[in-house]
Amino acid sequence: MAASVFLTVNGCRHAITAAGNTPLLAILRNDLGLNGPKYGCGLGACGACTVLMDGKAARSCVVSLNAAAKCKNIVTLEGLSPDGSDPVQKAVVAAQAAQCGYCLNGMVMTLRAFLDANPHPDEDALKAALRYNLCRCGTHVEIMRAARIAAGLEKEDSGK
Amino acid sequence: MTGVLQIFRKSLPPKGLSARGEFIPRDEVLVQIEENGQVLGFCGHVDLGTGIATSLAQIVAEELDADPKHVRMVLGHTDRTPDQGATIASETIQVSSRPLRRAAAQARKLLLKRAAQLTNSPVESLSFRDGKLIGSQSQTADWGMGDIVRGVQIREELDDTTPVKSPSEYRLVGRSHPRVDIPDKVTGRMVYVHDVRVDGMLHGRVIRPPYAGYDHGPFVGRSLLKVDRASVAHIEGLVDVVVIGDFVGVVAEREEQAIAAAEALQVTWAPIAVPDLSDPIEAVRANPYEPRVVLDRGDVDATLSELSHRLDREYHWPYQMHGSIGPSCSVASWHEGHLKVWSGTQNPHMLQADIALLMDLPVTNVTVIRHEAAGCYGRNCADDVGGDAALLSRAVGRPVRVQLSRAQEHVWEPKGAAQLVRIQGGLDAHGAPVAYNLDTSYPSNVSPLLALVLTGQVPAEVPTVAQMGDRTSIPPYDYANARVTVKDMPPLARASWFRGVSALPNSFAHDSYIDELAAEAGVDPLEYRLRYLPDTRAAELLKATAAKAGWEPQTQPPQVDPKERILRGRGLAYALYVHGPFPGKPAAWSAWVADVAVDRLTGEVSVTRAVVGQDAGLMINPAGIRHQLHGNVVQSTSRVLTEQVTFDKTGVESKEWGGYPIIQFPDIPEINPVLMDRPEEPPLGAGESTSVPSAAAIANAIYAATGVRFRDVPFTPEKVKTRLDEALGPLERPSVVPLAPLSSHGETARPAMASQGWKGLLRKAGLGAALAVVGSALATVLPWRAPIAPVAPPVPGMFSAEIIAKGKQVAAAGDCAVCHTAPGGKENAGGFALETPFGTIYSTNLTPDPKTGIGQWSYAAFERAMREGISRDGRHLYPAFPYTAFAKTSDADMQALYAYLMSQEPVEQKLPKTSLKFPYNLRFSMAGWNTLFHSTAPFVPDQNRSEQWNRGAYLAEGLGHCSACHTPRNALGAERWKTAYLAGGEAEGWVAPALSSLSRSPLPWSEDDLYAYLRTGFSPNHGPAGGPMAPVVHAMEDLPDEDVRAIAHYIASFDTRHTAEAAPALRQQILARTADLQSMEKGEGARIYNSGCAVCHEGEGAHLYGARPQLALNSNVWADTPDNLIRVVLDGAPSPAHQAANMMPAYRNLLSDRQIAEVVAFLRRTMAPEKGEWSDLVARVARIRAEGGH
Repeated sequence: MAASVFLTVNGCRHAITAAGNTPLLAILRNDLGLNGPKYGCGLGACGACTVLMDGKAARSCVVSLNAAAKCKNIVTLEGLSPDGSDPVQKAVVAAQAAQCGYCLNGMVMTLRAFLDANPHPDEDALKAALRYNLCRCGTHVEIMRAARIAAGLEKEDSGK
Repeated sequence: MTGVLQIFRKSLPPKGLSARGEFIPRDEVLVQIEENGQVLGFCGHVDLGTGIATSLAQIVAEELDADPKHVRMVLGHTDRTPDQGATIASETIQVSSRPLRRAAAQARKLLLKRAAQLTNSPVESLSFRDGKLIGSQSQTADWGMGDIVRGVQIREELDDTTPVKSPSEYRLVGRSHPRVDIPDKVTGRMVYVHDVRVDGMLHGRVIRPPYAGYDHGPFVGRSLLKVDRASVAHIEGLVDVVVIGDFVGVVAEREEQAIAAAEALQVTWAPIAVPDLSDPIEAVRANPYEPRVVLDRGDVDATLSELSHRLDREYHWPYQMHGSIGPSCSVASWHEGHLKVWSGTQNPHMLQADIALLMDLPVTNVTVIRHEAAGCYGRNCADDVGGDAALLSRAVGRPVRVQLSRAQEHVWEPKGAAQLVRIQGGLDAHGAPVAYNLDTSYPSNVSPLLALVLTGQVPAEVPTVAQMGDRTSIPPYDYANARVTVKDMPPLARASWFRGVSALPNSFAHDSYIDELAAEAGVDPLEYRLRYLPDTRAAELLKATAAKAGWEPQTQPPQVDPKERILRGRGLAYALYVHGPFPGKPAAWSAWVADVAVDRLTGEVSVTRAVVGQDAGLMINPAGIRHQLHGNVVQSTSRVLTEQVTFDKTGVESKEWGGYPIIQFPDIPEINPVLMDRPEEPPLGAGESTSVPSAAAIANAIYAATGVRFRDVPFTPEKVKTRLDEALGPLERPSVVPLAPLSSHGETARPAMASQGWKGLLRKAGLGAALAVVGSALATVLPWRAPIAPVAPPVPGMFSAEIIAKGKQVAAAGDCAVCHTAPGGKENAGGFALETPFGTIYSTNLTPDPKTGIGQWSYAAFERAMREGISRDGRHLYPAFPYTAFAKTSDADMQALYAYLMSQEPVEQKLPKTSLKFPYNLRFSMAGWNTLFHSTAPFVPDQNRSEQWNRGAYLAEGLGHCSACHTPRNALGAERWKTAYLAGGEAEGWVAPALSSLSRSPLPWSEDDLYAYLRTGFSPNHGPAGGPMAPVVHAMEDLPDEDVRAIAHYIASFDTRHTAEAAPALRQQILARTADLQSMEKGEGARIYNSGCAVCHEGEGAHLYGARPQLALNSNVWADTPDNLIRVVLDGAPSPAHQAANMMPAYRNLLSDRQIAEVVAFLRRTMAPEKGEWSDLVARVARIRAEGGH
């Protein structure tokens, strides 16, 4: 039941031939060779696969190819900036906010979508926004610092 | 000749876990400097996300005086790096970095010697700074290390006597250095093992046996009865099904095809009874063991008998999971007897040896290339999946990538074992702790590679016993008479090392017990520890940590106000993590002061602050140490407060994050590190140490807050609440404010055709119409009807494009394709099974195929079928086909529908035979049924209603046949229009909710709600179209807006309930009340919801994609039965009607009956409290599960 649809990912249009209920995540990783979004649970529960669909945070493991084809632009971690210069990415480097880094894609993409919709959040709002992004290394302290830096609540060089 | 300088050593025979088979010595390069200036360091350990690639590079750069930017570490490559054993026990820095450091120092010496020759300078005058040569007389000011090795090859064996720098000379080591990997990780450039792609790579999935999470026992490797390859023959792209013993895997061209094949493959297993681990501690207690006394000081038995205050205690630890965020993945490539494995393993050389054994290969024919993976914190499935990929790649002769599912990782990862620690002891007359008799039971081993035992390559009947229960088993306190017995025992469930190994539970016992002694002695717990802590570095750390925390002496029993909802307390603990085979090596010292807040109402414990001290000697990268400390505190807090693997009769029950929740951002404690500054002391492992005192510190803080001791991890809300209620009496719960009931106005609406008795027809349509109806009605009730002659199948161009387009809309209104399309089949080609109380009916082929479809049906035959339920050949059709509704279709619509159906692509499809119970299997019996229940009368508008209402009525009562599902049927299967129109019915096993005022939804269904629901598949005030309604919405896509609006207008007229206030206000009130009630419930159902469901169902943030169904507004939560709710949890919503909705996963194979019952009960209690709890939920879930998926 494979069918061809068009997906716009990181500004490029791609013709994709796959079953319509294929998770977007599999398409992004296997057909488009993108490594940003990660498979973590396939249930939408951990957030590692998060991408932006028309600017909104979406868990690509539970979004079907059919649904994705209705979206004007999908942005993955690779598409956020060519060189890691998105303010959220810069904040992550400044806060050294990764251990294994497997969940990091989800943290960055969720924060990006959240900050676009809420440019001046407080710390509790940041925590709530990241609540359903799981991290097992316990990098939460550093990720929160990155979030505060990206939200303008803390300076990059404010020490630890 | 490309220049290079290498320091190597002769490889040593492997020790420990990878020691197997023949040893072939080779040269192992430790440090290499290349002509281009690149410096490579080689280490057999790997970076598990802890930052050792950065720290090791710092060490190499330090000893070389190189620019750290030029140093890159090669880690865990079996062909390129030394075998330094598994990356375990926090020993990379402490042990494995030593030869590397010396090799770097030796390389610097050699470089300087050659530079002296090249520049004719005395070697003493030369040095490097940031990789640049300085001190030379000649014009070499910008010489780098690469320039010195240009064109020469220098190789030298490691000289163990080479001097290394003293810490006072360090310029790089001891300073914080940014991690080398983070820039690549934050941009997606890092190639994790999950991202490895090899030319020609296929995708594999494994199917694991039903002994979920067990790797030994008589059934392991011997339980497979049958694999039905035909069951996956239809899967596109399938390459192979591979079966070896109990190992089963599928390989396909595309990943989703491999997943589909793994799900579809029919595998039959022998019935298996796994050991009962419903009470893990009792199972540990009953597990056979060999006692091993590791400490025997003084006369314990005599002292115990003389104690003035005896205190015997038990401390329990649950099974826990490593819980890597990324399920394990590996790629293997088999080529002419050689195997390459790309792996996220902790122990590349051990995996190499395991795979060689698995495949009967010499070790040298196996190469393991290590890539970064999701953090593992111990032995997870990273190795297992490498074995899986190896077997599949060899079977198909192409590279294969295997990705484990979340459930497979959860179920099969070797668990951190449950542990039982018992202590006998007490106080003498002076309150001194003079006797200590501890025994500890830790059922764990190193976990064999799963493929080895599944294939039968390694026997699995009897598990090995590993002596790993002794970590930190010796108490840190100076008990004059002390005995420690380690009960070495085999594993129960599959288990292996997990951060802190047995030390975390052992230390939980040591430092809870000393706290209990201090309380009994009436001495401040800090003071009491210091009295008996002989280790001065430990005492200094403990004092520094307590001081930073503002420790105040606790000499009195906790004063607890039983009326307070939030109780606060502070506790401390200390540990020195001792790892490796007994007596082991100490890693960093650690101490905790934890502040907790205990919510009496929910039992929830929050760690509000953790002041955590660590003495790790020289800190290579202090930022890295601090980061590891934070990570350990967060992870161990999560473990202590909520984490436990549960088991049911099939094995591991915790199969996803709802069943095994881990800590989330709002619950992260404030963490204040205290790092002891000891640059002159050797560096110590810091990857685990600060986890070790966590449990005792938190338990001691809970005691300080509540006066109640908790000796069994985890301290879950339900456990804490139960014990505190027992100790302090229950705390009154704020009462629930019920919602104002919805009132109904006006008279109950009736369908346009409700009054359609003879009188009604006469009144509305006149005598002529009534007589026509009588005529056709008489015909319908004849038991045998004449066939209508076949006609030639239609030819293209027979119908106008206009009428076909119109017919397509009519088909959309009638949702023909919903029932006439089999799952995965061609549209309208039939074969969809309708389960009815009378038996299974298969829908017919509506495409114009002459043999199996309606190709030979004339319009007259079609119309007769639609209006009277008579097939072309004269047989009666069953009213599962809603001709009772379709009879009301106008002639124009009927003709258009015929034109559309006859213009479809013909599909030849043989269909299964409908088989009904007697007497329904006698088709002529339907004649009698029709007499009783069918009217072929045309639709007659209700003149008291608007045109829009009547248009809606025509569509809904006729073509749309809403009532076929939403109106209850009588015992003979006829819809009860007169008495219960739209009062709720049944569809494919789902409850079709009432659409009238009898609806259970907390908000009335307005026209706008219905319109949104039917048009988009989602109403924000009610929820998504699910179950059999989702395809109906799909099918209605071609229906014009005004028709959908008319249906919504018509149906809404039947829900006459209205709200006292505006619906949006009531909506907010319901959601706010739910949030309130949920803040008072923290039990297991709440945790499953919070970690598995809430991510899509809670909150409506503007930054979140897709429909977000708020379950508190959903009629299924308010319904009389939980069936729909249970069904959607079991089978998910794989094809949601809404175009921007997530596919809800099916939890059938992820949550047990008990877990689903917990979460369903939680939803009911917190969302529809007025409705009362559903009873017998577990049995109900089991029953609905047994009915199979829809």
